[in-house]
Amino acid sequence: MPADLDPDAALMLRVKQGEGDVFAQLAEKYKQPVMNLVYRMLRDATEAEDVAQAVFLQVYKSAHRYQVSSRFSTWLFTIARNLCLNEIRRRSRHPAESIDAPRADHEDQSAQQYEDKAAVGAGDRLLAGELEAKIQEVLDTLPENQRTAIILCSREELSYEDISEVLGCSVSATKSLIFRGRETLKEKLKPYLRTGEWNPT
Amino acid sequence: MSDKTVYGQLREASWERQLTPAEDAQLSAWLASHPVDQADWELERSLNTALHQLPDAPVPANFTARLMQSIELEERKTMRESSWWSFARPWSWALRGAFASVVLAAGLLAYHQVQVQQRQELARSVTAVSEVVSMPGPDILQDFEAIRVMNAAPVADEELLALFQ
Repeated sequence: MPADLDPDAALMLRVKQGEGDVFAQLAEKYKQPVMNLVYRMLRDATEAEDVAQAVFLQVYKSAHRYQVSSRFSTWLFTIARNLCLNEIRRRSRHPAESIDAPRADHEDQSAQQYEDKAAVGAGDRLLAGELEAKIQEVLDTLPENQRTAIILCSREELSYEDISEVLGCSVSATKSLIFRGRETLKEKLKPYLRTGEWNPT
Repeated sequence: MSDKTVYGQLREASWERQLTPAEDAQLSAWLASHPVDQADWELERSLNTALHQLPDAPVPANFTARLMQSIELEERKTMRESSWWSFARPWSWALRGAFASVVLAAGLLAYHQVQVQQRQELARSVTAVSEVVSMPGPDILQDFEAIRVMNAAPVADEELLALFQ
C-alpha cells in the first residue's frame, strides 16, 4: 500500500527518516486502541500500561526496519499482540500471577470509569458494570486468537484483512475464529442478550 | 447467491461495521421472509451493541509524555554506546593485534622448546649407544674374512645326501 493512502504510514516514514518528535502524534492517536487491546488481553491496568508503553517503544526502535507493505495499525497491533503473548507466557511460568484470576482492584476499574460519565444514572452504571464484567468473563474463556479477533473486529473496527494479518492467518480463518468466538459469547450471554437489550434478571 | 448467503454476509458485515441503510433494508426484507432467523439476528445485534459499549481501558493522561521520555532515554543510551564504540574501535584493532602477537610468540616459543627437547633426547641416545659399542682395534681386522666365513652356516650337500640314501 503506498504511503499516501495511509497517513499513519507516512508519519512512520518520517519517524524512520529521523523525525522522532512525529512519533508523539502516532502515540497520541493509538494509545487508546492499543491500551484497549492490551487491557482486554491481560486484565491488569498497571501491566497493560507497561506493555502498551513497551509496544510503542518497540515500534519506535523498529522504525528503521519499517516497510509500507500494510497499514501502520496492522503492524502496531501485531507488535501489541506479540508482546501480550509474551506477557501471558511469562505469567504462565509464574502461576502466582494468573491471568485467570483478576485482582480485586480490576473490578473497581470499570466502575471507576463509569463514574466519570456523569450522564449515566447510578442504576445503569451498576448494570453496565455487571454486564462488562460478564462479557469480560466470557471473553477470558475464549482461546487467545478468537478473543483478539473479536476485540480487533468489534472494538477497534479493523477489517477482516487487517485482522488476518495481525493473527497471521487467512481471511476465511479469521472469519471462522470470529464466528466461533461469537457463538460462544452468544451461548454464554444468552440470558443477557435474549431480549435484544441487557436484561440480567 | 442464496438467501442464506445474503444473511451470512450481512451478519459478517455487522460484526465489522455499522450496516449501511441499503444493507439494513436488505436485512429487514430478508428477516420478513425468514422469521426463523429473527431470534438469531436479535442476539447478534445485541452482542454487537454490548461489545461496542465496553468501556475504554484507562489511559493515564501523561502516557505519551512518559513514552517520549522513555524514547529520549533510549536514544541517549544508544548514542552513548555508539560514541563509546567510535572511541574504542581504533583501540580495539590495536588490542586485537597485540593479542595475535602474543599468541604467535607463545606458539613459536613452544615449537622452539619442543625442538630443543628433541635434540637433547637424540644427543642422550647417541651418547648411550657410543658408550656400549666401542670401535674394534685394527688387529682384529686381519682375520676378518676367516671369522666371517666361520660364522656362516654350512650349506647342506643335497646330492651327497641323496647318494647315501
